[in-house]
Amino acid sequence: MERYRIIPTLFWIGLSLFVMVLSYHMGLGGFHKPGPGLMPFLLGALLLLTSFCLLIRSLLKKVEKGRTESKNQHQVNYRKIGLVLASLFFFALLLETLGYLVVASLFFIFLFRSMGNRWRTVWIASALTVLVTYFGFTFFGVKFPIGILRF
Amino acid sequence: MDIYSGLLSGFQVILEPSNFLYCFVGVFIGTLIGVLPGIGPIGAMSILLPMTFGISPVASVIMLAGIYYGAQYGGSTTSILVNIPGEASSIVTCLDGYQMARKGRAGPALGIAAFGSLIGGTFSVIALMFLVLPLAKAALKFGPPEYSSLICLSLLISIYLARGSFVKALIMILLGLILGCVGIDSVSAIPRFAFGCPSLYDGIGLGQIAMGLFGISEVLINLEESMDRSIFQTRVKNLFPNLEDWKRSIGPITRGSLLGFFLGILPGGGAVIASFVSYALEKRISKNPEAFGQGAIEGVAGPETANNAGAGGGFIPLFALGIPANAVLALLIGALIIHGVSPGPTFITQHAKIFWGVIASMYIGNLMLVLLNLPLIGLWVKLLKVPYKILMPLILLFCLIGAYSINNNVVDVIIMIIFGIVGYILRKFDYEPAPLMLAFILGPMLETAFRQSLIMSDGRFSIFVERPISAVGLLIAGLLLISTGFSYYRKTKTKVILE
Repeated sequence: MERYRIIPTLFWIGLSLFVMVLSYHMGLGGFHKPGPGLMPFLLGALLLLTSFCLLIRSLLKKVEKGRTESKNQHQVNYRKIGLVLASLFFFALLLETLGYLVVASLFFIFLFRSMGNRWRTVWIASALTVLVTYFGFTFFGVKFPIGILRF
Repeated sequence: MDIYSGLLSGFQVILEPSNFLYCFVGVFIGTLIGVLPGIGPIGAMSILLPMTFGISPVASVIMLAGIYYGAQYGGSTTSILVNIPGEASSIVTCLDGYQMARKGRAGPALGIAAFGSLIGGTFSVIALMFLVLPLAKAALKFGPPEYSSLICLSLLISIYLARGSFVKALIMILLGLILGCVGIDSVSAIPRFAFGCPSLYDGIGLGQIAMGLFGISEVLINLEESMDRSIFQTRVKNLFPNLEDWKRSIGPITRGSLLGFFLGILPGGGAVIASFVSYALEKRISKNPEAFGQGAIEGVAGPETANNAGAGGGFIPLFALGIPANAVLALLIGALIIHGVSPGPTFITQHAKIFWGVIASMYIGNLMLVLLNLPLIGLWVKLLKVPYKILMPLILLFCLIGAYSINNNVVDVIIMIIFGIVGYILRKFDYEPAPLMLAFILGPMLETAFRQSLIMSDGRFSIFVERPISAVGLLIAGLLLISTGFSYYRKTKTKVILE
C-alpha cells in the first residue's frame, strides 16, 4: 500500500479523537438537556468510525502497479506552489504595516515575474491592477490600511 | 400575495435602476467566471460577498444568484471553443460542442447552447414560481424533528451524488459539521474550539472558508497543470441555428428542461448531475447514438438546457425550506443570513420583496445572458486568450481583498490562506470540498433543530420516527445508506471473483 494514502486517514483518526476529548470537556449534558459538547462529540465519534472504515479499506486494497507508476510520472512543481503561498503570507502579514498600495505592488511584481512574465508586462500589469483595484474597491466601501508610508 | 401580483411587484423591484444594474453585474461576472477556467461560481461569489454588505439584501441576492446561473451559460463557451469546461456542468458539452467547432459549426453550437439555456432557465423559473409557494405553505407545519431529518437527508443525498468515494464524501460532511460548531454555543454561551482566539468566537467566517477552499486551492491545483491553452482557430459565424438544427434540438431541449429542473431540486447534484444525465438520456434514445461524440447538436442542446434548468430547480428547497441544494446555494443562504434575513418557510411571506425580486430578476437575467453571450461572443473569445499567468495573481488578489474586507482584519486573511492549503491537500487526496461547504452551512441549523427536538421529547430519539414527515425523511436516508452498502458489497464481490 502506498504510504501517503494512509496519512489523511490517520489524520482523521487523530482529529476525531481530539474533537471528542475537547467536546467531552465542554460538557455533554444529557439527551433530555443537550450540552454544548454533545453535537461535536457525536460528530467526532462518527468521524472516528468512518475513518476506521477508510483505514480498513485502505489496508485491504491492493494498489495497481500501473496506477502507482503513472502517479510517480506526474511531477508537481512544488517550488511554484511554495512561492505563491509565501507571497500570500507576505501579503497578509505586511498589509497593515506597509499599507495596501505598497504590499499589493510588491505582491504583483513578485508573482507576475515568478510566473515568467516579461519585465515590461510585470510593471504595466502591476501598476494598472493595483490602481484599478484600489479605487474600485474603495468605491465599494472597502477601507484599506494606509500603513507606515501614510498612503 | 398571489403569483401574478407577486410577480408584478417583483418586476417593480428589478426594474429599479440599481437592482437592474446589480442583476447585470451578476450575470456579467457569472459569464466571465464561466468562461475563465480557474475560478468557479463559489469562488467568485465568496470574493464578492463582502462587497454586498453595503447594498440592500434584495440587490445582493439578485447579484449573487445572477453569478450562479450566469456561470452555467459562460461555461459552454470554453467547452465549445477550447475543449476545456469553464464549469463542471459544462464538461459533457466538450464532447460534441468541440467537435462541432472543429467542423466549422462553432456558431450553431454556441447558439443552441445559449437558446437552450434560455429555455431551460426560463422554464425552471416558471416551475419554481408555481411549486415553491405550496411547498413553503406545507413547510410551515415542519418542526425541529422534521428539519433535523430533512437536513440529514439532504446531506446524505449530497454524499450519494458526490463524485468519487462515498466514505470520503461522508468524512467531508462530518468535517464541515464540526467546523460549523466552532464559535460560541448559542444556548450555553460557551466558546467551542476557539482556543482563546477572539476572531473565532463568532465562528469561522463563511467567506474565508469558501475563498480558501474554492479560490486559493483552485489556483494551487491549476499551478500544477500547464498554463498554456490553445484556442481552436475558427471564425464564429451563423450563431442562429438553422431549421434542421432546431428540429433536432427541440426534443433534447424539452427533455433537458424537465430533467434538469427535477434533478436540480435534489441536494448535492444540481446542474452538474443534470447535464450528465441529459447527455446519457439523449444518447440512449437517439436513432444515431454513434453520432454522439462526433459533433451531434443534440449532445450540446440537451446538457446545456439541463444545467440551466438544474440551476433554477435548486432554488426550490432554498426558498421553501431554507435548505440549500448545493454549496453555491449554501453561500447564497449565508449572504441572506449576513443581511439579517433568515431563510425558511416564512421567508416568502416575510420577505416577499426579496423573493419576488429574485424571481423577476431571473427572467430578466436569462434574457440578458442571451444578449451577452451571442452578440458579445467575440469579447469572451478574446478573454480566453488572456494567459493564466496574468489571471492567477488577479484571482489571488481578489481573494485577499475579499477576505480582508469582511472585518478589516488580517486574521481573516490568514484563516483563508490556511483553508486554501487545506483545500489543496484535500483535493490532492481526492476529497471533494463541496460537501464540506454544504455541511458547514447546514451544521448550525442541524444542531439547533436536533437539540430542540431532544428537548421537546425529553431526550427520546423516537420523536424522529413518530412524526410522519420526519420518519419518511429518515426512511429514505436509510434506504440510500443500504443501497450504497449493497452496491459496495457487489463491487467488492465482483472484484474478488475476478481476482
